[in-house]
Amino acid sequence: MGARFVRRWRPEAEPTGEAVARAARERSEQERETMRSAVRRRADPRCFMAVPALGGLLLAGCATGRLDATDPIGPEAREIDGLMRLSGWMAVGVGIFVAAAVATIIVKFRAKPADDPDDLPPQIHGNRKAELTWTLIPTAMLVFLTIYTLPTVFELAREGTGPTIKVEGQQWWWQFSYDLDEDGHYEIVTANDLVIPTGKEVNLEIHSNDVIHSFWIPQLNGKKDAVPGRIHDWRISSDEPGIFYGECVEFCGLSHANMQMRTIALTPADFEDWRQEQLDGTEAAQAAPAAESAAAAGAALFETHCISCHVVDGAYESAAGGNANLLAGIAPNLTNLMSRTAFAGALYETYQTGPDGEYLRNPDGSLRLNVAELREWVRNAPDMKPARADNQQGMLDFSEVLTDQDLDNLMAYLQTLGSPPVLP
Amino acid sequence: MAIITDQPESPDLPDSSGPGIELEVAEPDPHGDGSTRTGVFARPTHATGWREWLFTVDHKKIGIMYGALALFWFLIGGLEIGLVRLQLWAPDGEVISADFYNQLFTMHGVTMVFLVIMPLANAFANYLVPLQIGARDVAFPRMNALGLWVFFFGGLFLNLSWFLGGGADGGWFAYAPNTGMSFSPGHGMDFYALGLQIAGIASLLGAINLLVTIINMRCPGMSLLRMPVFTWMILVVQFLLVFALPVITVALILLTFDRTFDANFFDVAAGADPLLWQHLFWIFGHPEVYILILPAFGVVSETLPVFSRKPLFGYPIVVLSGAAIGFMGWGVWAHHMFTSGMGPVSVAAFSATTMFIAVPTGVKILNWIATMWAGKVRFTVPMMFSVSLVAMFTIGGLSGVMHAIAPADTQQTDTYFIVAHFHYVLVGGALMGMFAGMYYWWPKAFGYHLNDRLGRWHFWLMLLGFNVTFGPMHIVGLQGMARRHSVYGEFDGFEFWNKIATIGYFFMLTAMVILAVNIFRTWGRYRRGLEPGAGADPWDGRTLEWAIPSPTPEHNFDYVPVVSDVDDFWHKKYQPDETGKLRRIAYGNDIAQLGDQHPHLPSPSYWPIVLAAGMPLIGFGLIYNLWIAGIGLLLLVGSMFGWTLEPATDPDAGHGHDGNGDHHDDHGGDPDGHDDHNGVLAASTANGEAAGD
Repeated sequence: MGARFVRRWRPEAEPTGEAVARAARERSEQERETMRSAVRRRADPRCFMAVPALGGLLLAGCATGRLDATDPIGPEAREIDGLMRLSGWMAVGVGIFVAAAVATIIVKFRAKPADDPDDLPPQIHGNRKAELTWTLIPTAMLVFLTIYTLPTVFELAREGTGPTIKVEGQQWWWQFSYDLDEDGHYEIVTANDLVIPTGKEVNLEIHSNDVIHSFWIPQLNGKKDAVPGRIHDWRISSDEPGIFYGECVEFCGLSHANMQMRTIALTPADFEDWRQEQLDGTEAAQAAPAAESAAAAGAALFETHCISCHVVDGAYESAAGGNANLLAGIAPNLTNLMSRTAFAGALYETYQTGPDGEYLRNPDGSLRLNVAELREWVRNAPDMKPARADNQQGMLDFSEVLTDQDLDNLMAYLQTLGSPPVLP
Repeated sequence: MAIITDQPESPDLPDSSGPGIELEVAEPDPHGDGSTRTGVFARPTHATGWREWLFTVDHKKIGIMYGALALFWFLIGGLEIGLVRLQLWAPDGEVISADFYNQLFTMHGVTMVFLVIMPLANAFANYLVPLQIGARDVAFPRMNALGLWVFFFGGLFLNLSWFLGGGADGGWFAYAPNTGMSFSPGHGMDFYALGLQIAGIASLLGAINLLVTIINMRCPGMSLLRMPVFTWMILVVQFLLVFALPVITVALILLTFDRTFDANFFDVAAGADPLLWQHLFWIFGHPEVYILILPAFGVVSETLPVFSRKPLFGYPIVVLSGAAIGFMGWGVWAHHMFTSGMGPVSVAAFSATTMFIAVPTGVKILNWIATMWAGKVRFTVPMMFSVSLVAMFTIGGLSGVMHAIAPADTQQTDTYFIVAHFHYVLVGGALMGMFAGMYYWWPKAFGYHLNDRLGRWHFWLMLLGFNVTFGPMHIVGLQGMARRHSVYGEFDGFEFWNKIATIGYFFMLTAMVILAVNIFRTWGRYRRGLEPGAGADPWDGRTLEWAIPSPTPEHNFDYVPVVSDVDDFWHKKYQPDETGKLRRIAYGNDIAQLGDQHPHLPSPSYWPIVLAAGMPLIGFGLIYNLWIAGIGLLLLVGSMFGWTLEPATDPDAGHGHDGNGDHHDDHGGDPDGHDDHNGVLAASTANGEAAGD
C-alpha cells in the first residue's frame, strides 16, 4: 500500500447531504475540537522516580491506559497479576543484590593509582561451597516459583461455568457469535463488541478464518491465539460492568495494529436487555424500509454493492455461507450495526465521543451517531484503515462508485439496523 | 617453553585423513615455486591491495571482514529501527505507512540477529580461536573464506529486497500461514526465506570449521579444560549451530516450496497445522538465542579476570554452566508458544524447564562477580563494557524468569515487556560483550589501541541510551502496548514512555557515530604515525594470543607453544615466590614471540568468492526465473571443480618469502594429525601446515 496511513481520518471538505448536515449541526465547535483530542492521560508522576534500568520491574503499578494488564478486573486476570507481582518482586530483589555487588566492586575494588602494578590481589581460583550455595539458592527460589505457577496453569485451562461464545479472528476484525439458547444456531452474530454478563465465567471458543491472531483483553485474562484449523478454549470474566479494551496481539499482516475490540461487561439484567434488543433488531431488519424513503433507496444500493460480502440476517444472506471475494471468507454481519460501539475493527467509534473518550449525548440522553466517519468509511475504507482490497483483504474503495446521494441513502439504511448499544 | 621448529612432512599423513574431511589430491609442486602453473587454476598471488582481502584464506583477515560487514549491517539495522522509533513518537503516528513499518521491524530483527550479532561473534571466533589454541589457522582455510563470502552474498541478497518491491513483512519469526503466497504476495518473504537459507549455509560452514579446529588443532598440552573460556563458549555455540541450523533449513525449505512451487505444508485448507512452523522455527530459534549470547559470555570471561588481575573464579563451573545452557537450551523452545494453544501439560512442562535454565546462567553471573570481588579492578573501556554486561544482562535474565511463568507470560508475550527483555539480553548482553571484545582485542588485531577518551564517550552514551530506550519498554509493555503495532491510540497512555524511548535511540545512535569516528580517526592517526603501537601484551593478558606480536603476524606463531595450565601465558609472567605469593618474573612484551619466522601458509584462492556468488543467483532464480538459478548452479558446480583442481599450495603466494627452507607439500586436511596425543611433532607439523584445507 503506497498511501500514507491516516488513522484518524479528517474530512478534507465538509461532507454534504442531508444526514451529514444534520450531524454537523448537532456538533458544536468545541465538540469538533474534541474529536481530535490530545492525550487524555499522562504518565503517573511516580514513573519519573524510576531508575530506567529497573523501571519495568519496579513500576507494575504506574500504568494508566486502556490495556493495562496490571489493573485486573476479573479473577483470571487477578490470578495472573498475583504471579506477575510475586515474580516481579523476586526479580527486583535479585536484581538489587547483583547491582549492589557490582556497585561494591566499582567503588571498593577499583585499582588505585598508588598500587604497585605488580602486586597482585589474592589469587582465588574458586570455592566449592560458594558454588554450591549459589547453585542451590536460585534453584530453591525457582522450585518455589514453579510450585506456585503450575496449579495456575491448569486452573486457567479449566472450562468455565457460564455461557459459551464463539470468537472468530480474521484480517482485521473480530466476530463474536452467541448461541445462548443452545439450539445449535447462532442467533446473535456481532463484531468488535464482545458483550458478556458480569460475574459469569464466559467460555470462548477461539477460531481463525485466515492467519494466526491472538485474542487479548488485558484486564480480563491473558492472551490466546486464534489459529486457523484449530479451536482454542479460553475463559474470561469480569467482576464489574465496564468497557474493557483489547486487540489482536499476534502479528497478522498489514493492519495488525488496527484489529481492535472491546469487551462490554453488563450486569445480568442489562445483558438480558441487550440480548433481547439483538433479537428484536434481527427481526426488525427483515422488514423492508418504507417505500420511497431514503432508507429504501439505501437498501437498494446495499443490495447492489454490499451483500456479496456483508450479511443482514433474514434480509440479505447471500454471503452467509462465506464468500470467495475475501481471503477470510466473511465480512462483518451488519444485522445490528447500530448496537455496536465501534466499527472498522473497533478503530472508529460508532457514536461521538468527548475528549476523555466518553460518549456525547443529546439533551434527551440519546447517543450521537458518528455519521461523518461512518459515511467516509463506506465511501473509501482503505483510506481509513490499511488494507489490501486488491488481494481480497479488506473493504473496497467505493469513492468512484457511490455518489454523495448514494452515501446519504446508505447511511439512512444503515441507521435502521438495530437500536443503540446498551452501555454499562 | 619448548621451542619447536617446523618438521618435515610426515609421509603417512594423507592416510590419516578423517571421515568427512576434504582430501586434496592435487599434485604437489615439486619445486615449490609455483611457476609452472598458469591459467584458471593458478592460485592468486596478490600480497597487497583489495585482492589480498578478496582472495584471502587467512582466518584473521576473514575475521576482520566479518566484523566490518557486521558493523555495516548494524548501521543499516539501526537506521531501520530509527524510522520505527520516529513513527512511535506520538499516537496515531503518520511518519511511515503500516506496510513500510511492518517491513522495517521485520528486517530490523532479521538484520540484527543474522547479519550483526552472529557475524560479530564469528569475527571474534575466527580471529581468536586459532590464536587462543596456538594454531596457525583454522582447519579448513578455504572453507572459512567460503563461509565469509556466502554470508556476504546472503546479507546482500536479503537486503536487495528493499529495491525489488519491498522487504520481508512477516516478522522475523515469519509465522505461517501469514507468510504464505496468499497473504504475503510480494517477494519480500521469498527474499527472507532464501536469504536466511544462504546465511545459514555460511553459519554451518563456519561452525563445522571451528568445531574441527577446536577439537583437533589445539597446541600441545592444551587439554579441553585448559582452553580459554572464550574458545569454550565458541565450541558450545558451534555445536548449537550444527544442530539448530538444519531445523531452520528444513522450515525455510518448506516455506520456499509453499511459496514457489505451490506446496501445501502450511496450507490450512489442505489440512496443514500452522503450528508446525512455530515448532520448527523455535526449535531453531531458542538455541539461536544462546548462539547469540554465549560468545559474549566468553568475551567477558576473558576480560573480567585480566582487568581484575585475578583468575576466573570457578573456571570449570563457568565452562560447565556454559555447556549446560547450551544443552538445556534445547528443551525450552515452546516457551515462545505459551499462548499458541498447546495443552496445559505442555505449557507446564516448558514453563518448568524454562525456569531452570536460569540456574546455570545465574551461576555464571555470580562467578563473574566473584572474579572481580577483592580484585584490583582496572576500569578500562573493555572492562566498562564487560561490567555493564554483567549488570544489564542480569536485568534481561530476571525478566526472562518472569516470562517463564506461563500464566504471566500470557499477559507479557507480544508486548513491549518482551521487547525490553530481549533487548536487555541482546544489546545489554551480547552487544555490550562484543564491544568489550572490540576494545580488548583491537590492539592485537591492528597494533594500536582505539582512543580511550572516545571509547569512554561511546560507553557512557551507549549505556545511557540503551537504558533510556529499553527501560521504558518494560513499563509500556505492562501497560499493554503490543509489539509490531504500527500505531497506538491516544487513550492507551503509551505516549510519554515512547517519547523517552525514541530519545534514547538517538543517544545510542550518537554512541555509534562516536565509535565510527573512533575507528576511522584512530586508524588515520596510526597510519600517520601519531598513535603509539601497542605491544604484544598491552593488558597483561592471560591467554596465548598475547604471547605473539601486535598486530598478529600472518603466521600467528613462530613456534607452536606448549601449555601446561589454564592461563599458561600468565604463569610465564608470574610465579610464586618462597612465601607462595605470586611475583612478576617477566613482562609479556619481553617474552612474547617475535613474529620473525616465515613458515609456509595456506595459499589464497579465487574460488570461495566465486562459488559463493552462485548462491544469490540461485535465489533470484527461485524467485524470478529458474534459468537464472541454472546459471547460479553452473557457477556453483564449476567453482567446486575449480576448487578441487587448483594447486594445493603455492609457497610464494602472498607471504613475501622465498619459499625454501620451511616449505612443506600439501598433505590434505588432517584432523588426526593435529591431536595433541600425537605429541609435539605432529602438532607442530599440523600447525605449520594448517594448509590443506
